Amino acid sequence: MPVVLYHPEYGAYAFDADHPFSPLRIEMVLDLLHEAGVPVELVAPESATQDELATVHDSAYLGAVADVSRSPADPRFEYGLGTQDNPMKAGMDLGAARIAGGTLTGARMIAEGKASKVLQMGGGLHHARAALASGFCLFNDLAIAIRDLTSRGLHVAYLDVDVHHGDGVQSIFFDDDHVLTLSLHESGEYLFPGSGWTHELGRGMGRGFKLNVPLEPFTEGDNYLEVLDMVAQPALEYFRPDVLVVQAGADAHFADPLADLLLTTQTYEALFRRILTYADRFSAGRLLLTLGGGYSLEATPRIWTILYLVLFGYPIFENLPAAWIERWRKELGPDPPRTLHDPPHPYETIPRREEINRHNRLMAQRLLDAVSMLWL
Amino acid sequence: MLVREIMHRNPITASPDLSLQDAYRLMNDRNIRHLPVLREGRLVGLVTDRDLRLATSSLATRPFPPSATVGEVMKSPVTTADPLDPVEVAAHTMRELKIGCMPVLEEDALVGIFTGIDLLDAMIRLTGVHRPSGRLEVSLADRPGELARLTGLLSERDVNIQSILSYPDESGNLRLVLRVASIETRPLAEALCKAGITIVWPQQRSCR
Ligand SMILES: [Zn+2]
Repeated sequence: MPVVLYHPEYGAYAFDADHPFSPLRIEMVLDLLHEAGVPVELVAPESATQDELATVHDSAYLGAVADVSRSPADPRFEYGLGTQDNPMKAGMDLGAARIAGGTLTGARMIAEGKASKVLQMGGGLHHARAALASGFCLFNDLAIAIRDLTSRGLHVAYLDVDVHHGDGVQSIFFDDDHVLTLSLHESGEYLFPGSGWTHELGRGMGRGFKLNVPLEPFTEGDNYLEVLDMVAQPALEYFRPDVLVVQAGADAHFADPLADLLLTTQTYEALFRRILTYADRFSAGRLLLTLGGGYSLEATPRIWTILYLVLFGYPIFENLPAAWIERWRKELGPDPPRTLHDPPHPYETIPRREEINRHNRLMAQRLLDAVSMLWL
Repeated sequence: MLVREIMHRNPITASPDLSLQDAYRLMNDRNIRHLPVLREGRLVGLVTDRDLRLATSSLATRPFPPSATVGEVMKSPVTTADPLDPVEVAAHTMRELKIGCMPVLEEDALVGIFTGIDLLDAMIRLTGVHRPSGRLEVSLADRPGELARLTGLLSERDVNIQSILSYPDESGNLRLVLRVASIETRPLAEALCKAGITIVWPQQRSCR
């Protein structure tokens, strides 16, 4: 059985009430599973210690985070702390350390054979750098978990399906040949953080192990899955990871207010099934999943509920329980969804569809051509 | 951004008496394409790998032998830059003269060199994409005060601007591409739109 990690203290990693990175998203998932009568068993992880955080983050940065968490009125802009994206509140570092501890616990359970598949009900803070808070991310829980795995000699493939480039994880392992990163995201020409080009292939020993597919705005689900297969299959076949780590951000959904891709919940179900297949075929079933971005309170809880159901092999139920809709009426907006999946044809037809599809295939092909010389 | 921020210091140089053979080897060993030529510490010419290849080519009317000297084939005088020249001025000069590099002189002393590749690096830095940032593209009327109004609106919202690029578009407006240190460019674009700024990207459905 897959293990699910969660701790109420994850909720302490919260910005202002109207900040898009809301802990409500996870509460809504857990409540929806509960209302739908789906069995849920949660394992509570320990916090990451300062030493564990320091496997990825600079000690000066950790000191600054502790200072600003104690006195949020004194921002440290040189570390991205207290900026518009990363406002600081008292005690935030505790929430962030608990989340990092969760992802780390997942990695350890897999490494020690206590679990084969783990879902971390939080985390996925992929923008945090060794010494920079960025894009709502304070501690890079993914990198801390991956570092634990590689310190045991394991090879890790990291797949990032968040709509934003996984720049923090990529930068931390840029010269490491034990970590393959693959990020699919809306092109940096249009979207934060502005990086994630096909020419970012890694450095030194790590060259050829950092893969990026920048996608056009308004990319749709079928084309997304097509280019994912084009790249992920040969990459995982070549790399043969011991563990597959996946950042399962939900902000590529068409309803997301921060980005422009057009995935539907149906795309996400197909995507999650593919990820399970990848794990079974290429990493002996060992899979660590985290959440991530996802800023539509209407769509994100449905997407992560589907993730949970797919992971456990439970049936995808159709109608959303009335009690759940009622309880979250404010968050779900004036026209709340009635079904777990999106309705058919939920958005207007995209006139440039063929051009977009062709361009995305070209990006995937360009990437494959570039790495074919490095994968020997 | 100034030339001194992008130039390579202590460039590798040649004397006019160096043979073409040795100059060729020097360029190969050091992986460079341009050699400033110094006589008694003063810049007297420039020789490129292309000059060497053309001078010694069997296709030339009268090819130079490998033992000929750099002084015989170098270009002179040399167009140079000052460390305090803005990089865009240097780029303009290189484009006008169709040259691939500029030695940098301070008083009469050679202090650096930069090539077209260094200008490309400068362009990457000027666009601000080396730090995590979101992109905002707006169109402004080409008149005084418009840019100040835009940056004022951004500063009211505590948004840090990492770079601004501007160019005139077809309709005579000023097109601005800003890289801002924020993942939330959409709410930002909506606020700017409401304040009467024409947003090109991110696409706005409506800001009423
Ligand atoms: Zn994201």
